[in-house]
Amino acid sequence: MTATTRPVPTTTIFRRPKAKTGVLGWLTTVDHKRIGIMYGYTAFVFFIVGGVEALLLRVQLSSADATFLTADQYNAMFTMHGTTMIFLFVMPVGAAFFNYLLPLMIGARDVAFPRLNALSYWIFLFGGIFLYSSFIFGTSLAPTGGNLDPIDAGALLNGSPNGGWFGYQPNAGPTYSVGTALDYWALGLQIIGLASIISAVNFITTILNLRARGMRLLRMPVFVWMTMIVAFLLLFSLPIIAVALFMVTGDRQFGTLFFQPAGGGSAILWQHLFWLFGHPEVYILILPAMGIVSEVLPVFSRKPLFGYAAVVFAGAAIAFLGFGVWAHHMFSSGIGTVAQAAFGLSTMTIAIPTGIKIFNWLGTMWLGRLRLRTPMLFAIGFVAMFVIGGLSGVTHAVVPADWQQTDTYYVVAHFHYVLFGGAVFGIFSGLYYWFPKFSGRMFSERLGKLHFWLMFIGFNLTFGPMHWLGLQGMVRRTWRYPADYGFEFWNQVVTAGAFLIAVSIAVFMVNWSMSRRRGAIAPMDPWDARTLEWSIPSPPPEYNFGVEPVVHSLDDFWHQKYTEGDDGRPVRNEDAEELIARLEKEGTDPPQPIHLPASSYFPVIMAAGLPLIAYGIVYHTLPWGIPIIVIGAIVTMAGAFGWAVEPAEEEAPHDPEHAGAH
Amino acid sequence: MAELTPEMTTEIDETPAHSHEGTGVDNRKLGMWVFLSSEFLFFGALITNYLLFKNRPGFPPPYPKELYDIPFTSVSSFVLLMSSLTMVLGHTALERDDQQGVRTWLAATALLGATFLGGQFFEFSEFIAEGLTLSTNPAASSFYLLTGFHGIHVAIGVLMLLSLFGISMRYERLSEHRGLNVELVGLYWHFVDIIWIVIFTLVYLIP
Amino acid sequence: MTDSDTRAHTYPTPKLYVRIAILLATMTAVEVGLYYLEPVVGGLVIPFLLVLSALKFLIVIGYYMHLRFEPATLSRFFAFGFVLAITLYAVVLAVFGILAVVIG
Repeated sequence: MTATTRPVPTTTIFRRPKAKTGVLGWLTTVDHKRIGIMYGYTAFVFFIVGGVEALLLRVQLSSADATFLTADQYNAMFTMHGTTMIFLFVMPVGAAFFNYLLPLMIGARDVAFPRLNALSYWIFLFGGIFLYSSFIFGTSLAPTGGNLDPIDAGALLNGSPNGGWFGYQPNAGPTYSVGTALDYWALGLQIIGLASIISAVNFITTILNLRARGMRLLRMPVFVWMTMIVAFLLLFSLPIIAVALFMVTGDRQFGTLFFQPAGGGSAILWQHLFWLFGHPEVYILILPAMGIVSEVLPVFSRKPLFGYAAVVFAGAAIAFLGFGVWAHHMFSSGIGTVAQAAFGLSTMTIAIPTGIKIFNWLGTMWLGRLRLRTPMLFAIGFVAMFVIGGLSGVTHAVVPADWQQTDTYYVVAHFHYVLFGGAVFGIFSGLYYWFPKFSGRMFSERLGKLHFWLMFIGFNLTFGPMHWLGLQGMVRRTWRYPADYGFEFWNQVVTAGAFLIAVSIAVFMVNWSMSRRRGAIAPMDPWDARTLEWSIPSPPPEYNFGVEPVVHSLDDFWHQKYTEGDDGRPVRNEDAEELIARLEKEGTDPPQPIHLPASSYFPVIMAAGLPLIAYGIVYHTLPWGIPIIVIGAIVTMAGAFGWAVEPAEEEAPHDPEHAGAH
Repeated sequence: MAELTPEMTTEIDETPAHSHEGTGVDNRKLGMWVFLSSEFLFFGALITNYLLFKNRPGFPPPYPKELYDIPFTSVSSFVLLMSSLTMVLGHTALERDDQQGVRTWLAATALLGATFLGGQFFEFSEFIAEGLTLSTNPAASSFYLLTGFHGIHVAIGVLMLLSLFGISMRYERLSEHRGLNVELVGLYWHFVDIIWIVIFTLVYLIP
Repeated sequence: MTDSDTRAHTYPTPKLYVRIAILLATMTAVEVGLYYLEPVVGGLVIPFLLVLSALKFLIVIGYYMHLRFEPATLSRFFAFGFVLAITLYAVVLAVFGILAVVIG
């Protein structure tokens, strides 16, 4: 460890933060691994919150004519469940994986812009807190002249956003959603979106510019490819929703008329802008999981990924086509037959690259010597469940069928099969797979398998019956159903399944927290894996690589350990153990001093101004509204200016290379 | 190739071009271009918005196009266009290591940008005086949203120019090696200019 | 170390930049002239206005932003964002039935 130098800083505006541990250390860190860990834990907290919201929904629906929640509480819960799971769980947990693993997998010491990385995290965290502060400060009142029951103003959960995660206009506009709840929603998503766009720029630059020597684009792990593709999706889809959310805020706060039919605006415009973003968004949610599974399946099948290039290009094709299908969310909105036919066809074409991936994964497992460890179980679960979700998705491409399915539980079943059966299974596969790398310890295989089977059964009990409930006509987003509709039995099954999922998550949490402290010490390469993150100690040292790797092929680490035998099977090299011992030594005791980017206060300062601005906008008609905006802007600008004058790394007082450069 | 020399393992943060596969473009510059490419989607949505509403019949008057003062807007477009010239001259001055020149051109660019903003402020107040507010009709809403966000971009650009100016006053010389640099701000500035080129034609000139 | 160092000598000279500015200014003047011709000539000016605007756009990107002198990667990203935006929003306007009106 003596070889590491995080150099002593020169002063800029503040003294450079030196703490590496404690609250200050975490607040000022720019280490991609620590930022990844913060992303992960924050996202998991939101996962629990979103899960509790889902359970409240399920309790309400477990019996006919239930009164557990009021209609408005129900609206609030499904809105926040969707918003939370998408924007505050799956997206940031993807960012957690990207942050932690991306530099490790491409053989880099950090991302291209370490401070921007910290900024992304803090913006995300403050945005999430801002959004959830609507539970405390927000209000949602019955619309003037509306026919809803007046809401009991003091009741819990009433002040949270209740316009659906899709925020359809004009329902979520100023006339029909009085109160501040949806202002919190629009501005909260705005802030969270900013975090994602910054991290997208960062990841793209990192992948394009910081790969280890020899790692050409087609030697990158599939996970890295999917990271890059997701980053491009974020880059090009978030600006659209940013504009749309600004328009909502304008309508609600400043009297603009974009989506207000009474004033000449267009409610359908919102749907276009929302789904122009919203459909790429679903690939933003699923592609990271596809990347994870593409890493896990080969390792536990002890075979290379079948058709590497096909998997990569299929991923890119999914992303590209994903921009051209948004109107299939609007088949029942009267967009015209030409548009319906065109978008129906474009939607069907997405099945092609997706099918290619499925066959590649199956081909990877085919004739492999499978090791059914927990990560592998989740990966196989992913493939199976995703196929079901994908197939029901194709049925939405058929316009007349879609008209029948729109706004029924069939749609809910479909997207949970891809987002839970797909994304969440993939995420847990990754959490188990890389747990030894994150923590330096092994998890309990027994609890892991218990988690998998409980979740697998609970998941199918929850979302399977929704297919036929939907086809029988059960409408989504509706808080109760009459007893004589015959929906009650299957709804009880669904609710039981949801609680089974909750139990499985509890098992996961026990496993995680116990194994992190008391699990067996993990070796550097416990899974006999293929990618570079396994060629450094567990957990990785701050500088990642003691000696920067040089890559000669795809799965280079594997090829250093194995050669192909006469029968085509891999044969472990005799000196593989020596290699691992050498890499471990290089990792813990680097031969050369390593410069790392220094910690910084400015990302967290810069991010802290944004929620202040947002609060100020929500309350801009109150006397303290504008001052709060000004204070927030000053905080953000001060952070930005301090940042601009603070060098990312400390330089030696006299640096001959730089002194003569200009 | 596999032989690791000390040159390859030290100072990796300083010499990315030497120890990494990459595009050969500086990280910050690549990042800026990537970011700017996403701005097309941002301004595209705003422009689409305006095109959708600008000629829709049946709104209460006035429509923005009835109030345009083309000679005035042409002058402010010209000012912004010339600020791109001063910006790029600032960049060439830096390449010659003419620090005084850099400072002058940065200040000139910021001044032209501020002039443009002043013009926009004047235009908005005229329009409001003639009864065109955010709530007049969706065409007005989308006009203000589009030109307003462009104005915010210009304002952020002016702030960055002033920051660079301040840094160059304090440290005497600007270095392109770290942090915010003239080239990055220049890229951003020219981008804001090209967006205005499009807005000027699509929003103001085409009826 | 930065790319600008190695490439600086290939960037245009201040003289060229000034000439480009004169060209851009002239084009802007022509645009404004076309605007005043519109009541006389009619919708015919619209394609000219669009072409002039596109040329100005490309000149600023190519010379002031040096894109002509950078690795092709940058141009590709930038063009991708631009083309994507144009395509998506053209489809949206087409669905609203507006596109035909804009083109004239």
